[in-house]
Amino acid sequence: MKIIVCVKQVPDAKDVRLDPITNTLAREGVQSIMNPYDQHALEEAVRLKDELGAEVVVLTMGPPQAGEVLRQAIACGADHGVLVSDRAFAGADTWATSYTLAQAVNTLGGADLILCGKQAIDGDTAQVGPGLAMRLDIPFVTCVQKVREADASGLVVERMMDDGYDVVAVDYPALLTVVKDLNIPRVPSLKGKMRAKKAVLQTLSAADVGADPALIGLAGSPTQVVRVFPPEPRGERTVLSGTLDEQVSELARRLSAYL
Amino acid sequence: MLIVDQELCIGCGVCEASCAFAAIEVVDGCAVVGDACTLCGACVESCEVEALRIEGAEKTQVVDISAWSGVWVYAEFRHGQLAQVALELLGAGRRLADARGVTLTAILMGSVTGEAAQILIGHGADRVLRIDRPELLHFSDEAYGAILTELIRKEQPEIVLAGATAMGRSFIPAVANILGAGLTADCTRLDIREEDGALLQTRPAFGGNIMATIVCPHSRPQMSTVRPKVMRELEFDTSRQGEIVDVAVLPEWLKSRVRVLESVVTDQDDVNIQEADILVSGGRGLDSEKGFVLMRELADVLNGSVAATRAAVDAGWIKYPHQVGQTGKTVAPSLYIACGISGAIQHVAGMQSAETIVAINRDKDAPIFDVADFALVGDLYEIVPKLIRAIEEQRRA
Repeated sequence: MKIIVCVKQVPDAKDVRLDPITNTLAREGVQSIMNPYDQHALEEAVRLKDELGAEVVVLTMGPPQAGEVLRQAIACGADHGVLVSDRAFAGADTWATSYTLAQAVNTLGGADLILCGKQAIDGDTAQVGPGLAMRLDIPFVTCVQKVREADASGLVVERMMDDGYDVVAVDYPALLTVVKDLNIPRVPSLKGKMRAKKAVLQTLSAADVGADPALIGLAGSPTQVVRVFPPEPRGERTVLSGTLDEQVSELARRLSAYL
Repeated sequence: MLIVDQELCIGCGVCEASCAFAAIEVVDGCAVVGDACTLCGACVESCEVEALRIEGAEKTQVVDISAWSGVWVYAEFRHGQLAQVALELLGAGRRLADARGVTLTAILMGSVTGEAAQILIGHGADRVLRIDRPELLHFSDEAYGAILTELIRKEQPEIVLAGATAMGRSFIPAVANILGAGLTADCTRLDIREEDGALLQTRPAFGGNIMATIVCPHSRPQMSTVRPKVMRELEFDTSRQGEIVDVAVLPEWLKSRVRVLESVVTDQDDVNIQEADILVSGGRGLDSEKGFVLMRELADVLNGSVAATRAAVDAGWIKYPHQVGQTGKTVAPSLYIACGISGAIQHVAGMQSAETIVAINRDKDAPIFDVADFALVGDLYEIVPKLIRAIEEQRRA
C-alpha cells in the first residue's frame, strides 16, 4: 500500500501581521512551518503505516526551501520526500496547483490513498484537495475527523459537517482532507531526526512531471489577484468605567439591540 | 513573472517590506526578485513609482465569455431544510443579477425539498432548477458535483455562488476544477466591475491580515464561495413570481464511490456556530470545563451559541466543532462575547469580522482588547453572572 501526503510550507501565523504604519505585511522574524492541518494528515498516514504496512511519501510544491517540511515529515515517520519545484509554478492558484500536484502524483505512479490537510493557513481556500482528487478521477472525502476502520481495501471515516457528521465508506484509491480533531501529531524521535538529516529528497521540475506550460503557474490560473489591501480598521474601542456593577449594566444597555 | 523596471525603480525598499515571502531585495539601488516570489502582487500595489508589474504568459485557451449569462446560486438543502446562507446568497445574487441585467437562478438539490423552491423565489430567485431525488437524501460530492457540472455546461451561467459551508467548500472546488473555472473561496464582498462586467471577488487572506480582490478574466463561470452571515438576505416577499423547473437527471450523475452509512445531527448542543447570530466564546481563562456551563447560561439568555478557543478545545473542555480560529471555524456573528480569551492571532483571525466584539479578561493588556468594541477588565466568574442578571433585567424592563 502506498500513501502520499501532500504538505505545504506556510508562514507561521503568529508572526504574520500588518505593519500599522506602512500597512504592509511585516515579515521580519517570520518563521516557516508545516501547515498545521497537514501535520494531522501526516500523522494519520504514519499510523496507517504502522497498522497496515504502507509506504508513506510526502509531497510538496514550493520553492527549494520547502524541502525543510519534507525533512520534518521524514523525521516524523514518512519514508520519502518529493519536492515539486520550478520557477514556472510561481503565481499558481488552486486550479494550477491541483493540476501540478496531479501530474506529480501520476509521475510517482499514483497512490492508494492521498491525505491532505483541510486547507493551508496562508490561503485558507480548502480547494486543492478536492481539485487534486478531481484531476486524478478518484473519490474524495473532506474534513475527516475520525478514521473508524481501515484495511487494505478501503476506509470508513467520519466527515465533519456543519450540523454534525456523516459516516462514509470509500475504497482505494481515494483522497481525504483532514481536520485537527483526527489525531495528535507525534513529535519526531531522535532516530527520526537523524534519518531526516541524511535523507535524499527527490526533486521534480515542471518538465519532470510532464506539465503543460499553459496549465501551470500564472498562465494556468483562472483567478488573478487584482488588488491587495489592508482590511478596514475596526471602530473605536470603549473601555467601560465605574464599578463592576456599573460597567456590567452599561454593557447590557449598550447590547440592548441584540436582546 | 514579476518585472522590475530598472529605469523607474528608485531603490526605496517599500516593496521589500511589503513582501510576505521575503522574495524581494534591494541590491545596488534596484529591487531584485528572488525564487520565493509567488506573484501575489502585494509589491505591485505598494510601489509608489509604478516600477513593478506582473506579466504572465496570457492564457491561451480563452473561452468565449460573452456566451455565458446569468447568475446562479447553489441553494444548500440538508436534513429537510435550506441553509440560511442560501437566502443570504440570493440577496447578493439579486444585486449582481440586476447590475448585469440578467436573471437569478437558484439550484436546489436534495430529497423531499417541499416548499423550499417557493421560499427561494420569495427571497429573490427568478427561477429555481430543482433536482429532488431520493438518491440525493445524503450529501454526495460526486452526485451533487456531477449534477451541478452538467447544468452549468448546458446553461452557461456567468456567475455561480455557493455558501462557504462544509458542503460548499467540499464539492464546489471539484466542480470548478473540472470546468476549468476560477473559484475564489470565502468571499466577503462581491461587486461587478463597471468597465467590463467582471465579478470582483474580495476575500481575506493570511488570517484576515490582508484583503485580496480577485477576478477571473478568461474563464467562465466565475465561481465564489461566500461566508455565512456576510451577505444580507432580502425580506421574504410572497408576491414575487418565479419559475420552478424540475430538472431530469441521468442515472450516471447520481453515482457515488463514497457511500454514506449514517448522517448524524449533533443535537445535544448547537455546533453550527457559523450560522449563529450571537456567540459566547470561552478560552483558557475559564480555567476548567465548568466554565462552559456559565458560557452556556449566558448564551441561552442571549439566544446565542457557544464557541471556544483552541486552548479550550485542546484541554478537552468542549468539542472541536465549537472551535473558532485558524484551525477551527471562521465566524462573523453580530455579537461575539470573548470570555477569558487572550486574543492570539490564530483566534482573532476567526472572529475579527464580528460586528460587535465584547471582551472580558483579567489581563488589561490582553491582545483581545485590541479588537474589542467593549472591554471589561476583571474576573469573568464575577462579571458573567452579573451580566446574565443585567440582561434578564433589561429584558423585563
